[in-house]
Amino acid sequence: MISGFVFRALEGRIVAAVGILLAIGILVPALNLLTPADSAIHIPTYAMSLFGKYLCYALLALALDLVWGYCGILSLGHGAFFALGGYAMGMYLMRQIGSRGVYGNPILPDFMVFLNWKELPWFWHGFDWFVFAMVMVLVVPGLLAFVFGWFAFRSRVNGVYLSIITQAMTYALLLAFFRNDMGFGGNNGLTDFKDILGFSVQADGTRAVLFFMSALMLSLCLILASAIVRSKFGKVLVGVRDAESRVRFLGFRVENIKLFTFVVSAMMAGIAGALFVPQVGIINPGEFAPANSIEVVVWTAVGGRGTLIGPIIGAILVNGGKSFFTGAFPEIWLFALGALFICVTLFLPRGIVGTIQHGFRSRKAYKAAAEAEKGRDAQPSVAQAAE
Amino acid sequence: MTSKVPFRVLQSLGLLLCLMFSFAAPSFAQQTDPRPMIDALSKADFGEAEKLIGQLAATGDARLVPALNAFSEGDLYFRKSDNLVFIGKAAGSNYELIDPVTGASAGQAAKNAVTKIKINNSLRRVIRSAMGGLTLLSPDRGVRLQAADAVLRSPSAENLELLETAISKEADREVKARMEEARAVSLLSSDRSIDEKRAAIATIKNYGGRNAIGILMGASASLDPSLKADVDAAIASIESGQRLWDIGQNVWYGVSLGSVLLLAAIGLAITFGVMGIINMAHGEMVMLGAYSTFVVQQLIRDNAPGLFDWSLAIALPVAFLVTGAVGFVIERGVIRFLYGRPLETLLATWGVSLILQQTIRSIFGPTNQEVGNPSWMSGSFPVGGMTITWNRMWIIAFSLSIFVALLVVMKKSSFGLNMRAVTQNRRMASSMGIKTPWVDAFTFALGSGIAGIAGVALSQIDNVSPNLGQSYIIDSFMVVVFGGVGNLWGTLVGALSLGVLNKFLEPSVGAVLGKILVLVLIILFIQKRPRGLFALKGRAVEA
Amino acid sequence: MTFKSKLGGALLAAVMSTTALQGAFAADDTIKIGVLHSLSGTMAISETTLKDVMLMLVAEQNKKGGVLGKKLEAVVVDPASDWPLFAEKARQLISKDKVAAVFGCWTSSSRKSVLPVFEELNSILFYPVQYEGEESSRNIFYTGAAPNQQAIPAVDYLAKEEGVKRWVLAGTDYVYPQTTNKILKAYLMSKGVAESDIMVNYTPFGHSDWQTIVSDIKKFGSAGKKTAVVSTINGDANVPFYKELGNQGIKAEDIPVVAFSVGEEELAGLDTKPLVGHLAAWNYFQSVDADVNAEFIKEWHAFTKNDKRVTNDPMEAAYIGFNAWVKAVEAAGTTNTDAVLDSIIGVSVPNLSGGTSTVMPNHHITKPVLIGEIQADGQFDIVQETAPVVGDEWSDYLPDSKNLISDWRKPMSCGNFNVASGKCGGKGS
Repeated sequence: MISGFVFRALEGRIVAAVGILLAIGILVPALNLLTPADSAIHIPTYAMSLFGKYLCYALLALALDLVWGYCGILSLGHGAFFALGGYAMGMYLMRQIGSRGVYGNPILPDFMVFLNWKELPWFWHGFDWFVFAMVMVLVVPGLLAFVFGWFAFRSRVNGVYLSIITQAMTYALLLAFFRNDMGFGGNNGLTDFKDILGFSVQADGTRAVLFFMSALMLSLCLILASAIVRSKFGKVLVGVRDAESRVRFLGFRVENIKLFTFVVSAMMAGIAGALFVPQVGIINPGEFAPANSIEVVVWTAVGGRGTLIGPIIGAILVNGGKSFFTGAFPEIWLFALGALFICVTLFLPRGIVGTIQHGFRSRKAYKAAAEAEKGRDAQPSVAQAAE
Repeated sequence: MTSKVPFRVLQSLGLLLCLMFSFAAPSFAQQTDPRPMIDALSKADFGEAEKLIGQLAATGDARLVPALNAFSEGDLYFRKSDNLVFIGKAAGSNYELIDPVTGASAGQAAKNAVTKIKINNSLRRVIRSAMGGLTLLSPDRGVRLQAADAVLRSPSAENLELLETAISKEADREVKARMEEARAVSLLSSDRSIDEKRAAIATIKNYGGRNAIGILMGASASLDPSLKADVDAAIASIESGQRLWDIGQNVWYGVSLGSVLLLAAIGLAITFGVMGIINMAHGEMVMLGAYSTFVVQQLIRDNAPGLFDWSLAIALPVAFLVTGAVGFVIERGVIRFLYGRPLETLLATWGVSLILQQTIRSIFGPTNQEVGNPSWMSGSFPVGGMTITWNRMWIIAFSLSIFVALLVVMKKSSFGLNMRAVTQNRRMASSMGIKTPWVDAFTFALGSGIAGIAGVALSQIDNVSPNLGQSYIIDSFMVVVFGGVGNLWGTLVGALSLGVLNKFLEPSVGAVLGKILVLVLIILFIQKRPRGLFALKGRAVEA
Repeated sequence: MTFKSKLGGALLAAVMSTTALQGAFAADDTIKIGVLHSLSGTMAISETTLKDVMLMLVAEQNKKGGVLGKKLEAVVVDPASDWPLFAEKARQLISKDKVAAVFGCWTSSSRKSVLPVFEELNSILFYPVQYEGEESSRNIFYTGAAPNQQAIPAVDYLAKEEGVKRWVLAGTDYVYPQTTNKILKAYLMSKGVAESDIMVNYTPFGHSDWQTIVSDIKKFGSAGKKTAVVSTINGDANVPFYKELGNQGIKAEDIPVVAFSVGEEELAGLDTKPLVGHLAAWNYFQSVDADVNAEFIKEWHAFTKNDKRVTNDPMEAAYIGFNAWVKAVEAAGTTNTDAVLDSIIGVSVPNLSGGTSTVMPNHHITKPVLIGEIQADGQFDIVQETAPVVGDEWSDYLPDSKNLISDWRKPMSCGNFNVASGKCGGKGS
């Protein structure tokens, strides 16, 4: 049964994507570690950790695509799940510092020492244990998504309203994590990590393994997501996206379907955050910023939502562009980014992958479909915003 | 009889003379030239300067008022060549020097030929008190009132006799009341009898307000122990009266915050609420409005400084037209291709907002721009135990009038009718001959224009920087969604209730936690009423 | 179907190869230095100016013939006010562009984000902004003020000159105000101020509605004792704060406000007439009367082609940091990190207030503390200037750091030496 579930997921496209991802996951670290620094094919650590970061973003975009592309829930708060996963990992890494902090306090992280905290807050306990921290990476975002979704989907909050309250959620968390009294290091966040499972986070070997893990987790999540959308459940999911009321009248518990997908997606975002933190070396409340979550939506839209592969490509392309432009043309990169968003929505409404897919159809059929879509939506009532 | 009358006249004349003499006495008694004292300021440190000001005040010479005033404004200079002190007025690259005593011009001096005499806050306080003393008998009512205020704010026992004389001569009731208060306050720190002090405490109690509590608390330590009970009773009585005012003040703050939210959100209530466009560039429209104000003020400063108080009135139509035009272009260029795909409008308008921000940053630079407050927007006035600041009051009035105006446009004008027709049933409206594309464009332009004039008002209380819009965008969406999309009244009630709620949470939990709680409450509220406070009903909504 | 995935792969490869290729263009006859300041996002408002200063300093140095006979070349990147991006850009500057030193960062978060990168790749960062202290890295030089170079002298001034007895410590809720206020509270209480005479208040970033807080301050100030506000309110929130103060009629003579984050640049966005007399404490004001300052301002105006551009304290810190680095490189004869780290300690360079600043073994510098009152023209009138003060990275007023010192000279080479236990590494024991 499970093998069938997985097997269905491995449609050609996905197999190829997973193959490429794993190849990158092995090749990049290998080229980084095994070739001499002056060799033409050497990949510098700088580029590897940069690319590792993109892979985490890609996983986040994939998570968003699952709820947005297939379930019609546009979450403007996925950055929150990402950040929570990151904080769970960050707390583990903080506790690993032990007495190597600047004050040499074996229990308390530095920021607690200089703010005169006397003992570790209760929610920090257990994070010195890797397995517990990894469970928390899944549980904390999952739980938040569960509680949030439980209320929201049962009250049938949808469309724009849902988007806006997810934004309110991440904004409230942003403000909360900025508070020093919360015990998460305020706006400085968690930083100055030393090692993970006994290996220095600065070492090239550790970075290589983290890079590989990012590629691996992205592949696994891609397979999982693909399995979900290709299962019977996935068909219902698309049904919910396209005609929620009809699915409900057919006897499906729409809220449970949405809730399940939302929680799975939040957990994926949490994993992405957890892999992100040791690679960039800091987690701070800035990750909760509503603008970050909107950017994730943009990556997904650029790549093509509802395609699973598209968001991965979108995340890597946009972030690659961002890295390049902020280095090469710092003054104009916002113009480029803004123009990209406008052009994609105007000229590539299906995103890169979606457009290529549809390119196989005749142009005429595409136009007809677009007209039909326009006509159907001619009454721009807000309730349709979920689409 | 005949001889008695002139005698009486003589008597009263004599008394008058005596009185006059006694006023003038200090200046006659020490007919010393104040000039050396003023010149000594050039070498004095802060402590010595304080003593010199005391001596200058003791001369009672009213001619010194301009010099003291200039000193407290930082306009007193000494000439490096001869250490003589002058009042300096900037004249091009030079200073125009004015004799501090006679007020006669003393020629010009290059900027590096004179040195400014240092002044700090404690000196300014001493000068304020001294000037209060010197101007208490001024013929000008306004000056006397100011003088009484000055003495009230920096009381000193030395001014007591002067105050009493002034009170006896004062005819104006308001000035007299202020002087009585000043006298009571000054009396507390003097060596007068306990009974007099008790009476003074009663006067201060009637005066009321926060300042009175401060004065009493400050004086209580040095007062005779037998007066302690009086002081405590007075403080308690003022505080109990103040408590109600404090609640009123809090409601006012809430309404004022609410009006800011309303201003920020009202344009969005049209572009998002009525048209269904998730307009992430809304904040940038507000910013463009604020920058329009800045540009208008710059032009006025350069060309017609006399019109400065009118700058906001001039900026309003400018901002409306500029942002309306930008909105029009955005609608025609981008949004019209996206109707029916609201979430894609989110992406496109987000892109637009990034471009607008960076454009402004490239033109004006990333730093804050100075937008001045016209005189009628500055300062405050008391209402009972409350302080109402003018700028907040105007902003409340302004946002409500925009609201009303918008309501009228929507409900009474033919454009409003077209607009509602198009948003309710586009095909039907189109069949009826309404040019729906133009209605769309002008509706979006209207929403943007209103955001722009909101920017004019917000420029008065917030930073004018390229980031201005971003700080309002989330709050605006919350207000519209909380109030109910598509309903202007919902936006009004939503904005005001969020404002008041915020202000009542703030004192007990702090500003940060207060804001978080409000957000959580909105999230919970939406669960209860998924379509906001004032939900639109009908089939179109449930589609 | 696999064609699309291949396309994706090709695009990835393209991105990576461009990043790899760029490194190859480094010319050998220049020395590169990195400039790591946000040019977009929320911090652009403050940091863009520092980028301009660095470009100006580099241009000036090149006019004088560069360093070690080579021209300097500034590599400017935009970390976009995004803290992880700071780490990424720092890594790029050091390992790809091979810069000899980096000048940058503004917020503590950005510095904390790049610190591990600088230590790992062994490069040098000059950090030009006042900060909360409680840090000492072998690879970072802190040319901005530590709390004892700004906050404590300001409080002393108010207590002595203005006779302040009651204190409002108002700040934005982040680490710098929290730490500074902890230090100040401990300091004030050690001077005999009762706890009930200290009010601490925090607000969120970019707070714009100050009505309640200003009226609270007014209430707190009406207790009959001279009251002052010590403000660690962050940049953007200051404008509405001062506007509200002015409108509610709080004059500097009644309740003075002394600020640590308000300089000429922030005042440029304000009508300062209602603010005359409020104070700020810095190590430099544009109004400093010194020839070197006049020259600096002239150069700045010429460089920016705008004679209205103001100068401020972080600019001076950048100036000192840059000149100290140049001098250290010339003394060492190389830009090699270890050599420069050795030669820079003890280097003295002129500061803009007319004296000299010396790089101390704790990687902080000596500078005088200036207290200024706001003038109607947006400048500061200096009312007090102290003798040069050594930056104290570990505050003497916090229980856990009072025993720590930092000395990066050999053989100690320790950033957190505990004088009580005689060991390096915090508690030591």
